[in-house]
Amino acid sequence: MINLAQRDIAHSLGKFITTALGVGMLIGVVLVMIGIYRGMVHDAMIVPNSIAPDLWVVQKDTLGPFAESSRLHEDLKYSLKGFASVKEVHPLTFQSLQIPKGDKPIRVYALGYEALSKFTPFTLVQGRPINIRTQEIIVDTKTGFILGDKISLGRNTYTVVGLTHKAVSSGGDPMVYLDLHEAQELQFLFSNEQIRNDRARGAQSVATATVNAFALTLSPGFDPKTVAQEIHRWKHQEVYTQKEQSDILTKNLIERSAKQIGMFTMILLIVSSVIISLIIYTMTMGKIKEIAILKLIGASNFLITKMIAQQSVLMGIIAFIGGAIFANASANHFPKTVILIPTDELKLFVVVMVISILASLGGIRSALRIDPASAIGG
Amino acid sequence: MKKRIISVENLSKTYGEGESAVHAIKEATFEIYAGETVALLGPSGSGKTTLITMIGCITEPSSGKLTLDSELMYDQKWQISDTRRIRREKIGFIFQAHNLIPFLNVLENVTIVPLMNGVKKAQADQKAQELLDYLGVEDKLTKMPSQLSGGQSQRVAIARSLANNPKIILADEPTAALDGERALSVMQLLRKLAQEQEVAIIIVTHDERMLPLFDRILRVEDGIVKEA
Repeated sequence: MINLAQRDIAHSLGKFITTALGVGMLIGVVLVMIGIYRGMVHDAMIVPNSIAPDLWVVQKDTLGPFAESSRLHEDLKYSLKGFASVKEVHPLTFQSLQIPKGDKPIRVYALGYEALSKFTPFTLVQGRPINIRTQEIIVDTKTGFILGDKISLGRNTYTVVGLTHKAVSSGGDPMVYLDLHEAQELQFLFSNEQIRNDRARGAQSVATATVNAFALTLSPGFDPKTVAQEIHRWKHQEVYTQKEQSDILTKNLIERSAKQIGMFTMILLIVSSVIISLIIYTMTMGKIKEIAILKLIGASNFLITKMIAQQSVLMGIIAFIGGAIFANASANHFPKTVILIPTDELKLFVVVMVISILASLGGIRSALRIDPASAIGG
Repeated sequence: MKKRIISVENLSKTYGEGESAVHAIKEATFEIYAGETVALLGPSGSGKTTLITMIGCITEPSSGKLTLDSELMYDQKWQISDTRRIRREKIGFIFQAHNLIPFLNVLENVTIVPLMNGVKKAQADQKAQELLDYLGVEDKLTKMPSQLSGGQSQRVAIARSLANNPKIILADEPTAALDGERALSVMQLLRKLAQEQEVAIIIVTHDERMLPLFDRILRVEDGIVKEA
C-alpha cells in the first residue's frame, strides 16, 4: 500500500522539515535544561571529589563548608591529629572572590590549602604546584589567565604558576588555589584602617588563624561513621562523611535549582506537545478535501489514522534529532557546565514519541469526523 | 437483456424532524442497467447530491430500498456493515476537476483504490497504465496533479474511477471545469466506457448541451425524481 504520510510529507518537505526543526529547538532547550541540571550536580561535586577526604569536620550545627558558612580555629587540627584513627588533617578555606582581569572582574571560588604539604586538591594541566607560601596562585583555564600572569588580590600580587581545567565551584565559578595562610589573610584579615578603628573601640580583630573546614583522611581499617561520631562527641564539631557531604550538596544546595529546572522542563515539554498538536491539527485540517476524497473512494479509518499518526511521529523524530544536534552543538557554549548523557536523551526520545502520538489524537479525531460527502459538489 | 445494476425503490431522505423536517428526496424509484449513461438534472438544492450520495452508500437513506449489482444495500436500514468496502469494490467516483489527491502522482492516484482492495502493486500498476494509456495520459505517470491541465486531471480521475473495475460510476459535474470541446470529449469517453465495460453511469450535470449523449435523463425537483 502507498505510504500516504510519506507522500504527503514529500509533497511539502521544506515546510514539514522547517516546522519540525522549529519544534526541535524547543526539544533542544529541554535537553539543555536537563544538561544544565546534570552539570550543576557535576560541578557541585568537583571540589569535594578533588579533595576526597574520608571525613569533613565543620563548625557545630552547620552544613558547611559548601552549603553553609563554617568557621573553626586552625589549631583544632592538632587535636584532630591526636585521634588514632586519623591519618591526615588538611585545614581548608573556601571563599568567593572577584579577581581583576582587564576592565572587568572575574568571579572565582578560592580554595586555601597547605601548599607545602603533599596534599594537592586539584589536577594540573599545565605548570606546577605552589612551591612557596607566598604570592603564587593556581587558576583554572576558564579564568582566561595563563602561566606567568600577575593577579592583584588583597594586599598582594600573585603569579600564576599552575593551571587546572574545568575545575569549578557548585555555582559554576572557576576555581583558584592559594596557600592556606594567604587565603586566610584574604578572608579574615581586615584592612589596616579597620584594625586601627577596632583597636580604638577596644574591639578584638578577628584572628586570621581560622579555617572553614578540615578534610580528614583516616588510617586503613577505621569506619568513617564511627570516627565521625567520636570526633563529634569529643570535639563538639559537625562531622560528615564524604557521602553525607555529597548528599548535602545535591539535596540542600542544588535541590531548589533542580526543581526550578524541572518546572521549566515540564513547561517546555507541555508547550512542545501543544505546538505539535496544533501543527498536526492544522496539517490535518489543511487536508480536509483530500481526506474526504480518500474516505469517499473507500479508504479505511485505519489508513487515515495511520497517515496522521505517522506524520506526527515523524515530526517528533525529526524534531528530536534537530533538538539533539542543537543541544550537543550549543552545550559547550553555555557559561555553566552542560552535561548531555545518552540515557537522558533516550528517555527524552521516548517522551517525545509519546507526546507525538498523543498530539496526533486531535487531528485523527477531526479527520474521522470529516464527511466523505463533502468531497462531492466542488 | 441488460443486467440491472442500480435499483432504487421508494428511496427517501429526510433531514431533521417534525415541523423543521426537510424532505430532500421523496420516494424515488428507478432502475439503471449495465452500459447505461444517465443524466441527473435539476436546479441547485433540488436533492441531486443527496440522491447520488445515497446511491454511493455515503448518506444513509431514511426509508426505502437500494440494491446495487444485485446486492441489497438498504432496506429500512443498512444491510451491509462496511459501506466503504462497497465503494471500494463496486463504485467509481468522478468529481469536478482538481479533485485528485495532490500529494500522489498520477499513477498513485489511480492505483490507490485497487491497492486498498488488496490487489498486488505490480498488477495495480499494470491496470493503471492500461487505463491511462486508453485515456491518452500515459505520458503523465509520474506527474503530480498540479502539473496537469484540467482535461488531463479529469482523464486521470476517470482512470481512477475505473481502476477497481466498478459496476457503477457516479460523476458530479465532471465537465464543469472544462471548456466546451474538452467537456464533449470527456462525455463521449464516459459514454464509450459505459458501453464497452458494461458500467452504469450516473452523471450530475447542468450542461444541457450534453443531454443528447445520455441514454436517459432523470430530473430532480424539490426532492421528486422523474424520468424526463
